[in-house]
Amino acid sequence: MSDPLLSLVTAAALITTGMFVFWPERGIYWQFERARQMTERVLREDALKHIQNCEVQGEQPSLKSLAGALNISTNQAADVISSLHSHELISIQGTEFHLTPDGRDYALRIIRAHRIYERYLAEETGFDEVEWHTRAHRHEHQLSPEDVERLAHRLGNPIHDPHGAPIPAADGSMAYYENCTELNQLPLDTLARIVHMKDEPEAIYAQLVAEGLHIGQEVRLVESSPQRLRFWAGGNEHVLAPILAANIAVIPITGEPNKTDESPGQPLTNLKPGEDVQMVAISPRIRGAERRRLMDLGLLPGTTIKVEMESAGGNPIAYRIRGAVIALRKSQAELISVCPEVDECHDLDMQLEEQR
Amino acid sequence: MTIQSSASAENIIQTAQSLRWEVGANFHEKLMESIYTDAARIAERAITRPGEKPRFDFDRTLDRIVTSRVWGFPIMVLLLMVVFWLTISGANVPSSMLAALFLDTIHPFLKNLAANIGMPWWLDGLLIDGMYLAMAWVISVMLPPMAIFFPLFTLLEDFGYLPRVAFNLDNMFRKAGAHGKQALSMTMGFGCNAAGVVATRIIDSPRERLIAIITNNFALCNGRWPTQILIATLFIGVLAPAHFAGLVSATAVVGIALLGILLTFLTSSFLSKTWLKGEVSTFSLELPPYRPPRIWQTIYTSVIDRTLIVLWRAVVFAIPAGAVIWLIANITITDTSIAEHLINFLNPFGLLLGLNGVILVAYIVAIPANEIVIPTVLMLTVLVTGATGVGEGAGVMFELESSTETLSLLQTGGWTLLTAVNLMLFSLLHNPCSTTIYTIYKETGSARWTLVAALAPVLMGFTVTFFVAQIWRLIEGLL
Amino acid sequence: MTTNVNVPSEACSTCPIHNAAALKKLGVDMANFDFVVALSGNPNTGKSTVFNALTGLRQHTGNWPGKTVTRAEGGFEYADHKFKLVDLPGTYSLLAASLDEEVARDFILFGQPDVTIVVVDATRLERNLNLVLQVLEITNRVVVALNMMDEARRHGIRIDVRRLARDLGAPVVPTVARQGEGVPELLQAISEVANGDTIGRPYHVKYDSPELQKAVTHLTAKVEAAFPDLPNARWVALRLLDGDERVAEALRKGELGDLTHGSLEQRAAQLQVVGNQ
Repeated sequence: MSDPLLSLVTAAALITTGMFVFWPERGIYWQFERARQMTERVLREDALKHIQNCEVQGEQPSLKSLAGALNISTNQAADVISSLHSHELISIQGTEFHLTPDGRDYALRIIRAHRIYERYLAEETGFDEVEWHTRAHRHEHQLSPEDVERLAHRLGNPIHDPHGAPIPAADGSMAYYENCTELNQLPLDTLARIVHMKDEPEAIYAQLVAEGLHIGQEVRLVESSPQRLRFWAGGNEHVLAPILAANIAVIPITGEPNKTDESPGQPLTNLKPGEDVQMVAISPRIRGAERRRLMDLGLLPGTTIKVEMESAGGNPIAYRIRGAVIALRKSQAELISVCPEVDECHDLDMQLEEQR
Repeated sequence: MTIQSSASAENIIQTAQSLRWEVGANFHEKLMESIYTDAARIAERAITRPGEKPRFDFDRTLDRIVTSRVWGFPIMVLLLMVVFWLTISGANVPSSMLAALFLDTIHPFLKNLAANIGMPWWLDGLLIDGMYLAMAWVISVMLPPMAIFFPLFTLLEDFGYLPRVAFNLDNMFRKAGAHGKQALSMTMGFGCNAAGVVATRIIDSPRERLIAIITNNFALCNGRWPTQILIATLFIGVLAPAHFAGLVSATAVVGIALLGILLTFLTSSFLSKTWLKGEVSTFSLELPPYRPPRIWQTIYTSVIDRTLIVLWRAVVFAIPAGAVIWLIANITITDTSIAEHLINFLNPFGLLLGLNGVILVAYIVAIPANEIVIPTVLMLTVLVTGATGVGEGAGVMFELESSTETLSLLQTGGWTLLTAVNLMLFSLLHNPCSTTIYTIYKETGSARWTLVAALAPVLMGFTVTFFVAQIWRLIEGLL
Repeated sequence: MTTNVNVPSEACSTCPIHNAAALKKLGVDMANFDFVVALSGNPNTGKSTVFNALTGLRQHTGNWPGKTVTRAEGGFEYADHKFKLVDLPGTYSLLAASLDEEVARDFILFGQPDVTIVVVDATRLERNLNLVLQVLEITNRVVVALNMMDEARRHGIRIDVRRLARDLGAPVVPTVARQGEGVPELLQAISEVANGDTIGRPYHVKYDSPELQKAVTHLTAKVEAAFPDLPNARWVALRLLDGDERVAEALRKGELGDLTHGSLEQRAAQLQVVGNQ
């Protein structure tokens, strides 16, 4: 019989090493795998995307901007550029370089894969919103065009990604919203809807999300100066620097403002037993299958909700919704906004009107 | 279909695609809203006296009680204990009756018959000692508890109580990243893991359902209870004074079951944060109104649907296992049976885990059904120790009437208290039986998740028994 | 193949509407059956109980949403006709958001059942009508089984069945499938719709949001112009606007054309083609 202490130590060491190497996502093995995938092709594809992005923005790409965007040295960037040139994906004139038609097609194909995949992550997986971009970035290089098309069909041929950015069609054409403007260009007091929030740079996107802004929301600009923008969205007043607001694209809409977007409501969790309330909206943070399920259960604007009972554990709370007793977790109920009484809903509208 | 109309179809689809920019992102939601608005209007017109309440609202009163903070959990524990008690005490008598019929009456009768018609010994052994005995064992151990447990469970389900259990327990399961309904598939797993895996169908969220499927094996199924009880009685019960023996061994068995529940939560939590992070997770739980259960129909359907189907699958898998057990005990290579070769080969590894080669071989050949582990262990122990006067020959599974005889046989086989404790742990933590593995594959449709569900517990079993054995020996050495 | 190839068109008022070839593709063998009946409904509305009440089979029915995972089939005879009953997965909606919904939708759309029963929980009428309205968008051969009437009575809910039937434009039969109550009437209603004695005038949802109006009207007009026989052009237009690839595919392949419960001559011609293949 071997020495128990020795075998214990050996086993503990083995297990620790094993966990260190193979722990899901963070293990060295997986990190190594990911690094291995960062091949020259991936660099080329990312470079094409960068150049395409610059063209759309009307900026001039440079070795420096490329090195910055791809997080590589200027020398490596120069290698990538010459490789792209030898594949006839870009043309070089002096210090300027431009996409050739082939290069543009290639770039759009990668963008399509990226945005479709982001859409897939949003609709059909449980990954958190902050992970989408990175994950899509990893997968855009691995998906074959057939994979992308299959995915697109399954998702109902989406036309924009979860941030509202248009998805290039399979033939390389890219439609976009007509008469869409940046939020800082919107005339005062015009009702408009947010259609796109750029997810890059990440720091700005995170700020916009933290403000509670999302696509589909109705906005109305109240004050506009070079220093700041004051506007109403989702029933709240927001103040943003114009440089941030420029990352939000809106289209003006006509007609009455949508009540659900105008009144802030309060979370369903505030509801007391026996109280009747009307549902106002489900937060866009509930998405995909979960959102559809809640709607299937009859949770739609205007639905009357009543607290039925609390569970013995305290957390899921059962509500009476359209004749059925449905249990919702607190994390869900927090994201469902309701308004206590129909009359009060109108009062809120009045208040909003006055504030304007 | 003409070329022209297909061209116009293409044209329409193109138009639709471009119009989609106009209708906006929340088109889908608006569609649903329109449908619901109309549904609500039509319903309102049709319902003439909605919700006029009866004087005494039975449902609501009952709900208040079974979900109350004070009474919710005690009622649940009490009901489940009643169900288990009825199962265990009710199954004893028919189980021993079936065993007496199949093992003590039909088996000798078949042997005689075979001898009379002059069947060659190997065919007789393979068919009657191998296949028939495995089948008989599975049926007599498995059928009675399942025939009691499933109808009782189904009655609670039909009445509408089980959704309330899920409602009450969801808070605990939520913290482990699982769904409250997993409480029910887990409870079902105490009856039979294969049935528990099927029961996860009630969980409609993909991530939580996979968690429930993969962790169901940690619910100690009825094929493993007898092993636990026997070993606990033989080795742990005897440590205590005689009048406490029963209590001590029962505590040990319940402790193993609770360890299984603890591992269910830990594994659920691990899975939901790592491999299953990307699976869609939703939560919805509808509490249907209570309905008076239809007792006879419930018994009929649950016996037909659940008990017999599961039993049939178990028998189908057990018969070849019986053949294999008989064959490895009887085919010899260089004068030693295959079984002994295997045991000798696995013995060092078994000892490292605080088990032994016999136990490992028994678990390998008994993948199809946990019910035959103990009979196989006894038969193999006789085979390797060469003990005389017990058992009925190579490859014939048996159990002993007297517990002292069993104990002395096992002690001859080198068993210690450590072996017993680790066998109990390993009986909880090893791969699911082949019926369950097959069911997991059918339910998930994925070879990958089936592999995870099959291998994860056995790896955990190796780890746990290894550490227990080594620490045990370390302490023993110090004393 | 269908046995009705040579049936003269004037006799067709009672002939089955379904397309045996399409059904075969969906895995339903129609040999020895006259009509195919699809059974749909929200989860936990007693759909399986209705199935058992009609066929006499004893499938386990639990007090849980979403019990039926595999598709069950059964048969029954009524008034000298043999009916095949296909139990579809329980769904809240037919917008093809999940596999279950897709299976149910495809069966009703492409399997072209002679009758589609929608089982409705009388105590949750409002939520259940959602599915009824969606089925009525696809087909007019619908019978609504208003199940769990005993529960509704127990909760003091009274339902004006005649008004409901008139509003929906489809026969509505109150039942308590567990006790067998209303099953003869349900059989009668199924038989009448199958034989064409009852012709539904289904209610169509009003999608009156102003932003949608323009796009929907425009596209519906285009669909109608290209496929004048299509009875549910607006529904097709809505599905296309929602990006439903299956419907787009069917439109391209002309499979939707098959679905028009069009003129008898057309149907006879179609059957002829099927028979010749």
